[in-house]
Amino acid sequence: MNEPPEPLSAGERFLARLQGFLDRLRDQGLRVGLGAGVDLGQAIGFLPSLDREAFRNACRATLAKSPEDLATVDRVFDEYWSALGRPAVPPASEEGKIPPASPRRRGSRPPTGRRRPPPVEVPSPAFEGSYSLRAPDPGVSLGLVSDIELRRNRIGARRFRRRIATLPGRSWRRAPTGPLDLRRTAGRSARTGGEWVELLHRDRARRRADLIVLWDVSGSMRDHTNTLFALVHAVHRAIRRTRVFAFGHAIEELTDLFEGQSYPRALTELAGRLAGTGGGTQIARCLEEFHRRSGSMLRPSTTVLIISDGWDLGEPGPLREVLRRIRRNVGRVVWLNPYAAERGFVPATGALRAALPFVDLMTSPGDFPYPHGGREMRSYRPRGPTPLAPRAEGSFIHRM
Amino acid sequence: MTDPSSTPPFAESIDGLMEALSRQQYVIERGLATAVFLALRLEKPLLIEGEPGCGKTEIAKALAAASGADLIRLQCYEGLDASASLYEWDYPRQLLEIRLHERDRTTAELETEIYAERFLLRRPLLRALEGSGGVRPVLLIDELDRADEEFEGLLLEVLSDFQVTIPELGTIRAQTIPLVILTSNRTRELGDAVKRRCLYAYIGYPNAEKEVEILRRRVPHLPEQFAREIASFVQRLRSQEDLAKRPGVAETLDWAAALLALGESSLRPGPVGETLGLLLKDAHDLETYRRDRLPTLLAAP
Repeated sequence: MNEPPEPLSAGERFLARLQGFLDRLRDQGLRVGLGAGVDLGQAIGFLPSLDREAFRNACRATLAKSPEDLATVDRVFDEYWSALGRPAVPPASEEGKIPPASPRRRGSRPPTGRRRPPPVEVPSPAFEGSYSLRAPDPGVSLGLVSDIELRRNRIGARRFRRRIATLPGRSWRRAPTGPLDLRRTAGRSARTGGEWVELLHRDRARRRADLIVLWDVSGSMRDHTNTLFALVHAVHRAIRRTRVFAFGHAIEELTDLFEGQSYPRALTELAGRLAGTGGGTQIARCLEEFHRRSGSMLRPSTTVLIISDGWDLGEPGPLREVLRRIRRNVGRVVWLNPYAAERGFVPATGALRAALPFVDLMTSPGDFPYPHGGREMRSYRPRGPTPLAPRAEGSFIHRM
Repeated sequence: MTDPSSTPPFAESIDGLMEALSRQQYVIERGLATAVFLALRLEKPLLIEGEPGCGKTEIAKALAAASGADLIRLQCYEGLDASASLYEWDYPRQLLEIRLHERDRTTAELETEIYAERFLLRRPLLRALEGSGGVRPVLLIDELDRADEEFEGLLLEVLSDFQVTIPELGTIRAQTIPLVILTSNRTRELGDAVKRRCLYAYIGYPNAEKEVEILRRRVPHLPEQFAREIASFVQRLRSQEDLAKRPGVAETLDWAAALLALGESSLRPGPVGETLGLLLKDAHDLETYRRDRLPTLLAAP
């Protein structure tokens, strides 16, 4: 005959509730490791009095790792611990054992362990297919790209960073050639009784890349939003000095969206920022606004990355003029066109033709991660003559 | 674990900690005080993120002053490496030693001698681990987001085990575990490995009441009513959506001190416009607000 299970002590019941709380946080996407749980347990032991606010503050300090995490901890804390009258964790005395604290099992986590919020839908009127300033917003249907694409973007972004960091910086690095590194040579000579057997050299570390992304988020670019956002996020992650601006019929800085944000979270926030940005593009007007407000950030070490299909409502003249001014101040201008890799692509729109003389390289997002290889993007040197070179596939790449 | 006697007496309770910091003119909220208290008791580093100029660095200074401990500061920057943060051998002196004793010592003896501690140049991280006296030093690793990701890797051993390994000398462990405060302005996401080793706190902009309190403490000659006016104006300015850079508490303090130095006792359009550059650090913001928006902001209740 089975004996009735021993009722749990108050401490054990509290631990069971605490475990339920941690599981609930994990369900909400918070990455609470075992170490953080142990820290919380120890923290509770150190608190002079375990009132609700002290407990909440201990949870915040030990379980959160970002401001977004703090908000999640607060929300779940209120939901979970306010329900003590009807506990989320069934009372141990009823069951006689530590109850299953969470409806979700560990096995149901995404295999990568990454937080994966569901795709974000921003409802909007139907897309009518016209391009005007007042064209209705076609809506933003955002989703995560595959891990393979993310990895490819990161590799590409790192290569891009290396390519655009061409100027010597302030700090020194060991190098196979260059000025003699007296300090290290002297240090090394200590191993050989003070004899300078091996001469070590040093060189200026290349200055970190300095990038401005101007991203066209108008209606015609909506099909590419997911791919391009993943790419821009990877670039921002790889290149710290990156400022991101989104434009359509107005321009807005999005850098804060990327700063300190994981890719899924930034994507979630993007939906809210893009709502209402559909419709046509006024590239020249937006670039003029950018140049007026942020022209001071353009330096010879800066690379400007314009992401646009070049479908523009404005006249080519003003665009040509503003690009000329931008190009004069920066190291290089790269134009990423989602259609550039398509067979038979010709930069035929008025905006693209106006832009070409001031663009060092025009390429497609697909080519971007592969500066080496078959579809290569190799031209990150200072500008020279700018012929249009027909590609083997029949499309055009603007080379230096 | 550190000898309990090395933990400052004020760390016995959260209230004690708040009082001690208050004596250093640092106004702290209970949530942040709890995080600092737990960092002291659990002997874990505390990562503080937040808006620039809102007191992240100041809290480390206040803690060091309150406990009478050394404040060892490591200001992070791009390219920061082990030789600037941890240790470096004093190569010229080593070389001199070799030259002095090359006749009377064997090579093996010389090798042993020149890798002695006296030839070690201690950088902030190592100095914090070695400590001085019985009081726990405060190690401030400031603006970690400015450093490279590789530097975060270098920090891991220090943050988790409070030790560093020097190949020629062995592993040096902290006798007195320092209170480590890391700060970040979130210009980039810090790695999970660093975050996992730290407790976390976030300092946002203060509300008006707290800002008045800070003004009263940090600018002692400021009249109460004027402090309220200044705090209220800065709160309104901060709430503007189109600002490229919002003013932090540090800017408020500088501005209040400047107005006081100019002999002002209330906000008047002329002096406010002339000193607005202490609050707004972006040329476009400054131009727009000085030209168009100042009267509206000043007139608002």
